[in-house]
Amino acid sequence: MPELKYVDGYPEYMRESIEVVNRTRGKRKDFVPDAMTAEEREEVLKVHPDYAPGGKRELALGPNAGDPVPGPVADLLEAYPLIDGKEIDLARADLEVDVMVVGGGLAGTAAALCAHDSGVAKDKILLVNKLRHGDCNSIMAEGGTQAADRPFDSPDRHFLDTIGGGHYANKPDVLRALVEDAPTIMHWLEELGAVFDKEDNGDYVENWGGGTTARRMHSCRDYTGLEEFRVLRDEFRARGIPKLEHSPAIELTTDGSGRVTGAVLYNLETGEYRVVGSKVVILATGGFGRLHIRGFPTTNHYGATADGLVLASRAGAKLRDADTVQYHPTGAAYPVQIVGFLLTEKLRGAGAQPVNREGEAFVFPLEPRDVEASSLIRECYVRDNGITTPSGLRGVWLDTPLIDVKNGAGYIDRQFPAMKRMYARFDIDMRKDPVLVFPTLHYQNGGVETDPDGRTNVEGLWVAGEVSGGVHGKNRLMGNSTLDTMVFGRRAGISAAQAVASAGAGERTFQHVTSYVRTLEEAGVATDRRAPMLLPEYRGKAALARMIDVL
Amino acid sequence: MTSENTNSPRAVGEASRSKKTRLPYYPGCTLKTTAKNLEDSALATAEALGIELVELPRWNCCGVVTSLTDDDLMHHVAPIRNLIRVQEMNAAGLADGETRLVTLCSMCFNTLKRSNARVRERPEDLTSLNDFMYLEEDYDGSVEVVHFLEILADLGAEEIGRRVKTPLTGLGVAPYYGCTLLRPKEIGIDDPERPTIQNDILQALGAELIDNPYKTVCCGSYQTVQDKHAVAELAHGILTHARAAGADVLTTFCPLCAFNLDNRQREIVERHPDFETIPVLYATQLMALAFGLGPESCRFDLNFVDPRPMLSSKGIMKEEAWATRQA
Amino acid sequence: MGNQTGMMERISESTRSLTTGVDTKDVEHWVMIYIMGRGYRVPADLTIMTAMEFAGYRLIRSCGCRQGFCGACATIFRREGEYKLESALACQTRVEDGMSLVQIPFSPADAASYDIASEAYAYSVFSKHYPEVARCVSCNTCTKACPQDLEVMDYVQSAIKGDFGGLTEQSFDCIQCGLCAIRCPAEIVQYNVAQLGRRMYGRYGSPEPAHLKARIAEIEEGKFDEALDRLAGASTEELEKLYAASERESDG
Ligand SMILES: Cc1cc2nc3c(=O)[nH]c(=O)nc-3n(C[C@H](O)[C@H](O)[C@H](O)COP(=O)(O)OP(=O)(O)OC[C@H]3O[C@@H](n4cnc5c(N)ncnc54)[C@H](O)[C@@H]3O)c2cc1C
Ligand code: SF4
Ligand code: SF4
Ligand code: FES
Repeated sequence: MPELKYVDGYPEYMRESIEVVNRTRGKRKDFVPDAMTAEEREEVLKVHPDYAPGGKRELALGPNAGDPVPGPVADLLEAYPLIDGKEIDLARADLEVDVMVVGGGLAGTAAALCAHDSGVAKDKILLVNKLRHGDCNSIMAEGGTQAADRPFDSPDRHFLDTIGGGHYANKPDVLRALVEDAPTIMHWLEELGAVFDKEDNGDYVENWGGGTTARRMHSCRDYTGLEEFRVLRDEFRARGIPKLEHSPAIELTTDGSGRVTGAVLYNLETGEYRVVGSKVVILATGGFGRLHIRGFPTTNHYGATADGLVLASRAGAKLRDADTVQYHPTGAAYPVQIVGFLLTEKLRGAGAQPVNREGEAFVFPLEPRDVEASSLIRECYVRDNGITTPSGLRGVWLDTPLIDVKNGAGYIDRQFPAMKRMYARFDIDMRKDPVLVFPTLHYQNGGVETDPDGRTNVEGLWVAGEVSGGVHGKNRLMGNSTLDTMVFGRRAGISAAQAVASAGAGERTFQHVTSYVRTLEEAGVATDRRAPMLLPEYRGKAALARMIDVL
Repeated sequence: MTSENTNSPRAVGEASRSKKTRLPYYPGCTLKTTAKNLEDSALATAEALGIELVELPRWNCCGVVTSLTDDDLMHHVAPIRNLIRVQEMNAAGLADGETRLVTLCSMCFNTLKRSNARVRERPEDLTSLNDFMYLEEDYDGSVEVVHFLEILADLGAEEIGRRVKTPLTGLGVAPYYGCTLLRPKEIGIDDPERPTIQNDILQALGAELIDNPYKTVCCGSYQTVQDKHAVAELAHGILTHARAAGADVLTTFCPLCAFNLDNRQREIVERHPDFETIPVLYATQLMALAFGLGPESCRFDLNFVDPRPMLSSKGIMKEEAWATRQA
Repeated sequence: MGNQTGMMERISESTRSLTTGVDTKDVEHWVMIYIMGRGYRVPADLTIMTAMEFAGYRLIRSCGCRQGFCGACATIFRREGEYKLESALACQTRVEDGMSLVQIPFSPADAASYDIASEAYAYSVFSKHYPEVARCVSCNTCTKACPQDLEVMDYVQSAIKGDFGGLTEQSFDCIQCGLCAIRCPAEIVQYNVAQLGRRMYGRYGSPEPAHLKARIAEIEEGKFDEALDRLAGASTEELEKLYAASERESDG
């Protein structure tokens, strides 16, 4: 392929279509396509990666035997453990605590703080994290956090929007806790000193989100998760609660009768293991974007590899809605260095429109995410109205300059510094030119089933955050996830702290692992797959082919 | 050699009567925190005199006390960067071509002016500094660092007297200078041994001038961090002499002198139970009162020895004015 | 609607090198980079992060969000023939021919202990917990090092002035990568200072909206219990009807 000539970050041939988009902007300024009817939605959803055939398989074993889940998830749930326990002295704990939190995103950090607030001594809490305390999906949340706090709005409206968006599969008691606690979480963040976008009169700036019928998105520029997370992390540090980083949990321990009693950790740098006994365990390991389901790139952080699902289901926890995956409608499709990176829904909330090669707005910009994503896929691969990038990806335009047209110059500068900065690093000015987008793997809708306090069906095991399932049904709305992490992180922390008061330390065994391996063999799953995955594999194929292990 | 002393500040008197003079103004960090009483009162009096002190955009720490080591160029980065901001201010049309930079804190004045003199004297140093700050435009040496007292002196006693609504009649005021406004003499604004620059101004306000030789005795400066009792002893000498000479209050322009003379009275009282506390004010606080600007601009709550009882006993402040504030 | 299985395969084929690691046969343009002094030939369109992976590194440190938000991938590099030491986020920076680089896996820094509920909203909060801020010599090295292009020196100066609002505004996009702190001659940990300052501003300088407190009170009084009971007990058909009938707030 000859060298391409680039103008302001785009190859010349893509510029031709950009000119069309720039020309048609005036016409589209006051035009917004109608939202789809229920029938239209059903039709377009056929091209959704979740519904297009070939992506899922039924689990052969475990608490969810017979349930369909995406292939890569099934691969991990039907895999051999990393260790069988024989090489490890489980009886000797390196550390004994009351509350162990596995995973330090918003959910885990909130859980640790609230367990501490509820009376667990700080030295009886341990937060363990796979990588650094901060390598998580939480820190990347851009768009916002929902809470129905404006007079027009109400928790029941929030409930209805969420359950409608979730295709009515949401667990009602858990969902109710989500919407009722939302304002309390905002209050908590205010007390801790988080800085949200506010109007001059001190009220929150509240924006639309896909599938909401009221403006209830609270944001911190486009660094919402960063602000929320760094405030919680700073509070965690300031209190001196112990943590272990670069030490993923690779297996839970149980007492033989099914109660969770601790975990085995693995020091990623030295290869050494550690046994931690804990009266209760709160799993907050986040999602699974790095499984690249259906070959999609992802918005997720490096360690989003479904470890929590593996650990919990081996210990007997039930999953729900684990068949559905959220693809965010607008991932970056160009330039190749940032493919799959998130372009927050807040952009569409502020007026940016998806536009095809011919400069036509082809979809209501704020459909629920599955519908919006499907319609972008249809535009590119069925109607063939997309733009193909030099590396062979297809995408449609997201007309970002429209944001400043609608809200006045300077709006992007103030509200989307992260997005603007990311494109500027690749010579693109999103205030002047549209950016190319295509759906990207974003969120694990389902997960471990819980009650409203984050308790699972397994004694001693709580879960919170993206690893859990139920609150979002089959499709999560934007802004409900950061909210969910803190609502249920907090609830799990409080209820685990209560449980600790009456619980003794339990024996630590791998009986659940042994019996799981037996079922694997009985089910005739012939595989050398091992799980949890811990980290995805991105090393160059040439380098891998020549790697030898001699030291 | 270009000494700033030879370029005396241009007069603002005439212009100020008709239209506001805008002058770039460098506050310094103390004026934004513990010495807010200096800043607020000075800004208010300046305004009453037709001078708008426009805060320098993006100013940074003055550099505080020029270091005495040989290789101290690094310490001039901060002050010179501030002078570059004056150039930027002019480039942005915010300073009407004015090259004077007004300071209030005498420490900031001292640091900025000494650095300025240094780079004018040693062009090779200026080049090094400019090279180091390659993200900024080059400093061209054109800024004049002045102290607010010089602006006042330039306006003249007559002009100041015209604004007085509540003369400070019967108030014995001992001006205090310390060292940073006066030394080294190349950059000082007055005779280092016998300064008088506050005299005319205080008299124009109607105060009774209590001139005494302790006005230039060292306040103890940063020793206050190391040994507060030693500093308290120095302050004790200065204060008792002023009192003996008939002073009701002392005035200064330096937040550090103010701290040593005012706050250290706590330690003085511990050692000398018979010591009678005496208020130490910024001269601008007295000016604000004399101009009838009210106690709002004086932030007397930041003075350690509360001057309000004394001022109201002299009829300069109304009793209620501070009683209600305290409640 | 089309051949959806084929479509999914076409999509996943187009992103294969991004999701499974780069295969040499797909590469057209190459550059030489030097990772800790050792040269590697890598595809020209990779980021520093993906180039290191291509070269065979399995990243454990210096990699987190992979998207410019977490600050884990702080990297310093020099271009060939340049004296300037540049800094960058490995996940956000394209490789350049001749680039010589090393990642900073960790930046040792003490974070203070405090309870912001009982701190004074004044400059003294900095002198109490991070007294070294006063040592800033205004050299601006931090600003030059910041991969987010923040005016780091200015926010440090705002802290010194006790200007919490200014500090919040200037430091808001800080991802706490540590690059400023490791280069500061005054050994200030800028991002921790800023973190404390922003929390103080959030708590004291930007008060909680009245409508939030009012809503929490309403929820506590049970104002929405009835409506929520009804929704939580409703059948899917009922919910579908309600959802379809729910009116969107007017945009005005
Ligand atoms: C780019 C992006 C933008 C988003 N924007 C929004 C938004 O605007 N609004 C919204 O509501 N939601 C948003 N989300 C979703 C939301 O941020 C996440 O779903 C949520 O923060 C997840 O929080 P969590 O605490 O459950 O998991 P995470 O924040 O992912 O934290 C999980 C932690 O567990 C660790 N971990 C994993 N496995 C192990 C193990 N085996 N042992 C120890 N530790 C382990 C991980 O390393 C990680 O640190 C966004 C997500 C992404 C990726
Ligand atoms: S690097 Fe340190 S000393 Fe230099 S300006 Fe920044 S904070 Fe100040
Ligand atoms: S201010 Fe410092 S820690 Fe924050 S992003 Fe910039 S260099 Fe990194
Ligand atoms: S990996 Fe998070 S900023 Fe680069």
